[in-house]
Amino acid sequence: MVERAFKVSPAELPEKEVWFAMGYRDSVPEERIQEMARGLIGELVPKATLRYTYQIVEAEKISPRQVRFAGKTFTPEGIICSYLKGMTHALLFIGTAGWEYDRAKEALKAEGDIVADFIADSIGSVLAEMTVAQIEKDYDGPHTLSMPYSPGYCDWNIREQHLLFSLFPERPCGVILSETSLMAPEKSVSGFFALGETLQRQPYHCQICKNSRCFKRRNA
Amino acid sequence: MDNLYQAIFKGLAPLAKTAVKESLDNGKTPQDIIDESMIPAMEAIGQEFEAGRVFVPNLLLSARAMKMALDILKPLMLAGQTTTVGTVVIGTVKGDLHDIGKNLVASMLEGRGFKVINLGTDVSKERFIEAAKENDADIICLSALLTTTMDYMKEVVDAVKADGLNVKVMVGGAPLNQEFADTIGADGYSSNANEAVVVAKKLLS
Repeated sequence: MVERAFKVSPAELPEKEVWFAMGYRDSVPEERIQEMARGLIGELVPKATLRYTYQIVEAEKISPRQVRFAGKTFTPEGIICSYLKGMTHALLFIGTAGWEYDRAKEALKAEGDIVADFIADSIGSVLAEMTVAQIEKDYDGPHTLSMPYSPGYCDWNIREQHLLFSLFPERPCGVILSETSLMAPEKSVSGFFALGETLQRQPYHCQICKNSRCFKRRNA
Repeated sequence: MDNLYQAIFKGLAPLAKTAVKESLDNGKTPQDIIDESMIPAMEAIGQEFEAGRVFVPNLLLSARAMKMALDILKPLMLAGQTTTVGTVVIGTVKGDLHDIGKNLVASMLEGRGFKVINLGTDVSKERFIEAAKENDADIICLSALLTTTMDYMKEVVDAVKADGLNVKVMVGGAPLNQEFADTIGADGYSSNANEAVVVAKKLLS
């Protein structure tokens, strides 16, 4: 089990990812919104300590809908399982923008500025995703890594978050899970990378996915 | 279009505050200001968003400008004993922390004369019912962004019915549609903040 913490500077935060998180997929915000975002990045990012933990476990795909990680059966459903051919291991992870960021964001929210709150939320999402990118950089094993997959996406029921957390010590990186499977701090991520010698890393296929109710559709 | 309309449409809060004071100085009533400038501006920005010409921050900037203008008008409306159209209890359902869309709907309803009790996020069915009773609400508005939390809406609808509460239930949120709303027995559904006002008024008519 690996557990690490790191800080990032405002300059290291990829602005393009922030714009994307704010809903600008093929465009950038107008200048005044960019200025607001840069101000918040400068104010909030130095307060954040990002944390992540991961472990590599034996894994196998046992049906078109199901996999087994460390002896426990998960049901990520067909979309994710279709990417897992050749999986022999899985890197299970939890990452978070941390309680410090959560508190800074809550303080901002209490001021009642809904625009700043929305931008801070987007910045937090990018910070949380940076932990996943860092985990990927950390991995120096012999296998190919898949894209990361998380409960709550691509039809994978978010309730399986509890099953995933059961494979980690209590409160990994300080993250707690609610009865309804939401993580706190709010800006946290969890999931797995599939590993395998013959596994082929495939991009997300949102453009051919038929789940029209997914609010994360990347071609929306 | 007047200055207030422009200020709200463009999301310029300080200008909106100045413009609303100008309108009052010119003898307009708070309700006229809301009906003639503020609501049309919010409807227009909502339509721009629906058409993909502006983004969520633009909607929020407009909502923020509208709220600041409303804050100036509200005490005057109470002083003039302007009656409310109805009372709405609104919240994001239990297990869901997303509140941007819900807050937009709350702003629009408030602007159209509804008294709005905003319960925030992660709201249980018990809390919805309790707040509806406390405030003698006409409508409960439920919001959800996650496919996994939208199912909780049915629990709220069932609890409201079981309680015998005389209140309508409206639902909204990105993963929902009219079919889902019908399936869970909701009285109304809207896909955006503008339409939510129309549906709410219809439910009370």
